Amino acid sequence: MNSRAAAPAQLPSRVGSALDELRATLDRAAELAKAIESKPETPGDLSARLADVESDREELSTKLAEYEQQVGRLMNLYVATYQLHATLDPGEVQATIAEIAINLLGAERFVLLFWKKEAPQPIAECEVAFAQGLEDDHSGLYRNGIYGGGDPAVDATLADGVLRIGPIDGSEALACVPLTVQGATVGALVILKLFDHKTMLKPEDRDLLDLIAAHAASALFAARVYSVTDRKLKTLESLVALVRRQ
Amino acid sequence: MKTKKVLVVDDSKLLHRMFEMMLRGYPLVHAFDGREALDRLAEHKDVELILLDINMPRMNGLEFLTAVKAHPEFARIPVVIITTEGTEDDTERGMQAGAAAYVKKPFRNEELIGVINKLTASPAA
Repeated sequence: MNSRAAAPAQLPSRVGSALDELRATLDRAAELAKAIESKPETPGDLSARLADVESDREELSTKLAEYEQQVGRLMNLYVATYQLHATLDPGEVQATIAEIAINLLGAERFVLLFWKKEAPQPIAECEVAFAQGLEDDHSGLYRNGIYGGGDPAVDATLADGVLRIGPIDGSEALACVPLTVQGATVGALVILKLFDHKTMLKPEDRDLLDLIAAHAASALFAARVYSVTDRKLKTLESLVALVRRQ
Repeated sequence: MKTKKVLVVDDSKLLHRMFEMMLRGYPLVHAFDGREALDRLAEHKDVELILLDINMPRMNGLEFLTAVKAHPEFARIPVVIITTEGTEDDTERGMQAGAAAYVKKPFRNEELIGVINKLTASPAA
């Protein structure tokens, strides 16, 4: 009887493929067994592999910490930009600039300067639009809400629109951040002192200073223009209402 | 896992926005001074962590902290002081008033998230 020999040919294809798979698995198992027999892992090999894995883990952990820092920095930049442009109230924009300086840069003493339009050239003056901690300032350069020049770093930044980070000879400013609108320098944020627990400006602070230079003035400018336009519109509306009543 | 509610008390809108970004996994309750924060606490009795600034109008952070720690219902809530007041004396004063942690501004986001994770024992973001 050759019914046994004929049986595999009559098996359904599903069973046939399962047998093929089983054969392949057995072959792989045999190969693995051969590999293990030919090259047994010594404790030395295992420690070397463990050391590699640990080194990889440390590298990944360092990279993760770097990415977290980067995400933190980007988040600060995003929030600062968002908040600067979140309002059309000039007072709120100024408050946001101050909040960035205090909470994100750690500035204890600083001034926000804007060129006075009516100041006769070349004796240029800036108005002190916002100041923090000036009661401890003994330079007298920012008295009565006016800056008339005198600090070489501030004067240079107001003139050429270049961001300067101190220490700078003859200047008490730690950083002079130009405020520019459409390429024109309209003022500067001058950081005069940091909080005692923040010893110096760090490389990552540079991104925030650049952001202030690029966004603060345009946000404030837009808010001021809106405020003036809105005031004029309200005056006109009340005039029209008055005329209609008469 | 139940998400823990966090009360943010700071007079800076910028910081409120930042905490919204940092703590996306947590429902936040916002207050801009100590007095408003007490009102928010009365409304949200399930607050499980407070992030607190010190220099604020109307009622400052230390006054608020003292009031919270004297309140039988709220005294158990951990409070993290986050402030520009960075001297040793300031830190000691805050911790003596009952703060669970003291973080100086400007802070690194990952540093604050680490503190919050420790106090809430669940991932922050």
